[in-house]
Amino acid sequence: MLTITIDGEECEAEAGQNLLSICLARGIDLPYFCWHPAMGSVGACRQCAVIEHKDEQDQQGQLVMSCMTAIRDGGRYSVDAHAAREFRGGIIENLMTNHPHDCPVCEEGGECHLQDMTEMTGHTVRRYRGPKRTHRNQYLGPFINHEMNRCIACYRCTRYYRDYAGGSDLEALGRNNQVYFGRHEDGRLLNGFSGNLVEVCPTGVFTDKTFSRHYVRKWDQQMAPSICEHCGVGCNTAPAARQPGRPGDPWLRRVTNLYNRDINGYFLCDRGRFGYEYANSPARLSQVLERDNVDVIGSSAGEGVLSHREIPPGEGVEAFARHLEDQGPGKHLLLGIGSPRSSLENNFALRTLAGAEHFYAGLGATDLQLLRLVDTIQRDDRIRSATTPEIEQADAILILGEDIDNTAPRVALAVRQAALNHRRQRAAELKIPDWQDAAVRQLPAPPVPIIFVGWEIPPLADCCTNQMIGTPEILVSFAEAVLATIRKGSGDKDILPAGTEASQDSDIGEVATETAQALAAAKRPLVIAGCGARQPGLLRAAGLIATALAEKKGNAVNTYLACPEVNSLGLVQLLASGDMHLERLQGIVTEARQKGTAVTLVVLENDLSRRLERSQARNLLAEADTVIALDHLPNDTTRRAHLVFPTAATPECQGSVVNSTGRVQRHYGVYEGIGFIQEGWRWLADALSASNQHSDSADQIRSWQHCDDVIRTLAETLPVFSKLPAVSVTVPEGFLVARQSHRASGRTAIGSARHVAELPPPEDTDAPLSYSMEGIHDPAASTLQAMIRAPGWTSNQSIHQFLHGINGPRIGRPEPVTLQRTTAPLPHWQSVELHGSRHQPGENKDAKGLLAIPLYRLIGSGELSNSAEGIASVMTEAFAKIHPADAAALDINQGDEIQLSLGETSLQLQSQLDFEIAPGVIGLPCGLPKFGDIAALLPSQARIIRVIRYGQKMEGDDC
Amino acid sequence: MTNPTGKVWQRIPARQEGPAPELSTEEIRAIDEERSHYENDAAAGLEALRIVQRARGWISDDSLRAISAYLGIAEAELEGLATYYQLLFRRPPGAEVLQLCRSSSCWILGCEQLQGWLEQELQVRPGETTADGIFTLLENPCLGACDRAPVMLLGEALHTNLTEEKLREVLAEKRRRHADQSAD
Ligand code: SF4
Ligand code: SF4
Ligand code: FES
Ligand code: FES
Repeated sequence: MLTITIDGEECEAEAGQNLLSICLARGIDLPYFCWHPAMGSVGACRQCAVIEHKDEQDQQGQLVMSCMTAIRDGGRYSVDAHAAREFRGGIIENLMTNHPHDCPVCEEGGECHLQDMTEMTGHTVRRYRGPKRTHRNQYLGPFINHEMNRCIACYRCTRYYRDYAGGSDLEALGRNNQVYFGRHEDGRLLNGFSGNLVEVCPTGVFTDKTFSRHYVRKWDQQMAPSICEHCGVGCNTAPAARQPGRPGDPWLRRVTNLYNRDINGYFLCDRGRFGYEYANSPARLSQVLERDNVDVIGSSAGEGVLSHREIPPGEGVEAFARHLEDQGPGKHLLLGIGSPRSSLENNFALRTLAGAEHFYAGLGATDLQLLRLVDTIQRDDRIRSATTPEIEQADAILILGEDIDNTAPRVALAVRQAALNHRRQRAAELKIPDWQDAAVRQLPAPPVPIIFVGWEIPPLADCCTNQMIGTPEILVSFAEAVLATIRKGSGDKDILPAGTEASQDSDIGEVATETAQALAAAKRPLVIAGCGARQPGLLRAAGLIATALAEKKGNAVNTYLACPEVNSLGLVQLLASGDMHLERLQGIVTEARQKGTAVTLVVLENDLSRRLERSQARNLLAEADTVIALDHLPNDTTRRAHLVFPTAATPECQGSVVNSTGRVQRHYGVYEGIGFIQEGWRWLADALSASNQHSDSADQIRSWQHCDDVIRTLAETLPVFSKLPAVSVTVPEGFLVARQSHRASGRTAIGSARHVAELPPPEDTDAPLSYSMEGIHDPAASTLQAMIRAPGWTSNQSIHQFLHGINGPRIGRPEPVTLQRTTAPLPHWQSVELHGSRHQPGENKDAKGLLAIPLYRLIGSGELSNSAEGIASVMTEAFAKIHPADAAALDINQGDEIQLSLGETSLQLQSQLDFEIAPGVIGLPCGLPKFGDIAALLPSQARIIRVIRYGQKMEGDDC
Repeated sequence: MTNPTGKVWQRIPARQEGPAPELSTEEIRAIDEERSHYENDAAAGLEALRIVQRARGWISDDSLRAISAYLGIAEAELEGLATYYQLLFRRPPGAEVLQLCRSSSCWILGCEQLQGWLEQELQVRPGETTADGIFTLLENPCLGACDRAPVMLLGEALHTNLTEEKLREVLAEKRRRHADQSAD
């Protein structure tokens, strides 16, 4: 700790910091532009100038840029000095000469860092009368607006986009007064983290285009903390809503980042930021639906025959209740199908309703196996799940088969930051502070070993030191070789498992040895794998490598095992046994039907035709006597259901979810939503209450009034959730946290077109949050306050005022709640278990066959986000990606339509020839609209049936 | 595991080798020569732009794309370079490029009036080319000849102690030359 004096006040500060962060952390209003807490200082804008005095005698002092000034012990600084104020005033006056001053029509207005800083410096009168430079704006795609005239040339956008996020299509162009931040030509910004520009840019140059369609000022927004529902990372978000003022306006207006140091920090991925629009989709289910034509059960009727009509919710609940009655042996079988994208509350309610023995995961066998493997590996106490800051600090990373850029995007952004660690280390040796961004980035230092092995070159490729692509079989061999080397502790090639590719191919052996050495030598190694690859062998190998490293090092090793959905890991904990998958369910249903038992399936927020091959899913649904589905959006499953209940989407309700690292997080309702939507568990409880069922569990369900009641029962029922009640954030007795700001407008007028009466705001029965402007506003007073602002600081940049130090944890945030899993060492998986995914060698004789493997896309693989308007407008076209050499052997050209057969299923996709995919495999897209079930079929041997030439719809040879 | 190529494992080449179709053999030879002086190819970007401009007079979108493909540098990054240096032309310049000094000494001695006169005479603003394609007018910072201010570069030749009169002569001379050339 050093002692410094700021404006005559003595204070303690940690050595190595820069003066700007210290001032900001102390709550001093010191304006800045180019500095960013995650990106450090470059001293470009000159806005943060202060006076530094040599000693007590030095009255005049010297101007310094606070963001570039490392504090020194006994240092004397003045933020308030007249000369410093005058200088800062001059800087902003100069920056503003070209600014259009169009705040009233600017979407940044009301949450603009430039407005804040201009006010702060006291530049309230414009003296410049000359002409302003004007720019032509670019089309940057459906997500981001461009209004270059507002630019103050702070360079934050390019520093973020290029240096931090690895983008290559945004640059500073031109120079002097004409400098322009844009692309080399009009077009969509291609980096998957482009949306953060909206928050990074301190002005209104980059704004959220999806938000423009239904814009409201920040002060009119209604906010509550939420969790991104688009993958398993669990980023924290602050969705913003406002009651529709005119017809056609949606409730949900946009999503912005909500700082959580351990997960998302300051940044979200584009799926998370722009995927929210699914909640506003015109297709949203808002009424209870009953199937019209019950005669078509069991028929192979096409889509057109299935139709539903709206019924009053009470009627629907009654109908549901009848299906809950006369259950029991020999009578009527009710089976619950849960969902990894639904909350713990919903899943647990269904489990309680159906009975644990009748509660299924709603996942295919492979999906469930993969998730259980993640769970098993995480239970080994030699393994830790890394937080984002820990990933960023890793000094050797092995990524085993998982395309994290597309399956756990925020994690990939963290890995990118780790690439600089050796430079940071070198900087430390040279006594250069790590916030000296430009200096650190240019230091020559050996790259941090980041080794990617998979079957497609990932977007992360540019920061990998070694990347290799091969078939899954080869990847497993590679992993085994790494494992053997770590265990034996030497680079001796003889130890490579005999008879595998690794022992035959010197390249694999060499890279494996290098990788093992790098991991073993690292202080903070990290092993990344996940479910996306759909290779149990790779997950096992990742677990073994991490534990072997832990044994060597004598302490737990960091891993990140990516789970696909927002509550995947939570769902797994709710299952009575490890084989509650859909294939098993199918057998049970068939068996029951043969015995003449009537079967009712209750499907919770799950589209079975994304879990099973489509016709298989349809058969399952057709076989049951009754299907009751609960969901947000219509899909293949709801279309086949006899009763459909509309459920609240994540931002519309409260719920708890478990992310890939086993952390339980809670999302709160931001707004009420439309129609008759409510949480899935409430529909289930309503139905049960309306039935004549009486049992312990039925009474339990009847007693549930609030979300917390469900959570409490869950905690009592399953020890793994014993800490769960701690996710409920409390506020002082008698207080609520306000969802709206104190100056929210239109309270008495906004609904007057519909009704004259001034209705009281709705009440939240679940959370201590109000749906009005009354209540706690200060984000420091409660972490439930998601609208981040402070006096004089309207933009999200004000977050530093609510943290324990810059980049520290949020003030008041309780300890994270994690799953209380019993620990158990990993099984001693042998080589055959790693190679368990080896595909029947017999099939490989067919030289025309390729192994079909899954590929993911940020835009396209998200079930819900695919219904978001902006995302849908740039949807990735379905494709089949093949290595040109394979394509040549099969006589396939770029763009040909190829018909593939995967087991029973045949698919038609357009070929994409690419050197960036491994030879021997054919990459198929997972989760794309119309192809939602492909993942369920993979990996499997694919046969090319015929090729239709590009452009000329001519039949190729039948192979 | 078999597959038609027999090769199952691939170490990723840094980049697909082979010349991009749009660069000429001479250009490629020159670029390769430059590239050998640097640790990474990105550093050769600026030289590559100069080489292509020398050969083609300016850098078209296609040229930019070709260099980008050849050196593996993002187009946006090359565009950043090309628009930073005002002597890299992203539009075809006139046959004669006038670079008028706009720094302090020249300003004290009246470069503003001279520029006004030039703009009037040529009917262009800085950065523009005359309708007949002969002159391009650019502004320049100090040319290092302050003792003979105001000054201007015309092509590679320095013109000093400028006056309206001198400018008129120079322009007339150039116009005559171009008229003769096109008459031939
Ligand atoms: S566009 Fe925004 S972030 Fe980029 S330089 Fe301009 S003001 Fe700064
Ligand atoms: S990384 Fe995952 S959780 Fe985070 S914003 Fe993206 S989709 Fe959402
Ligand atoms: S914030 Fe310090 S110079 Fe920009
Ligand atoms: S100011 Fe014009 S040459 Fe120096």
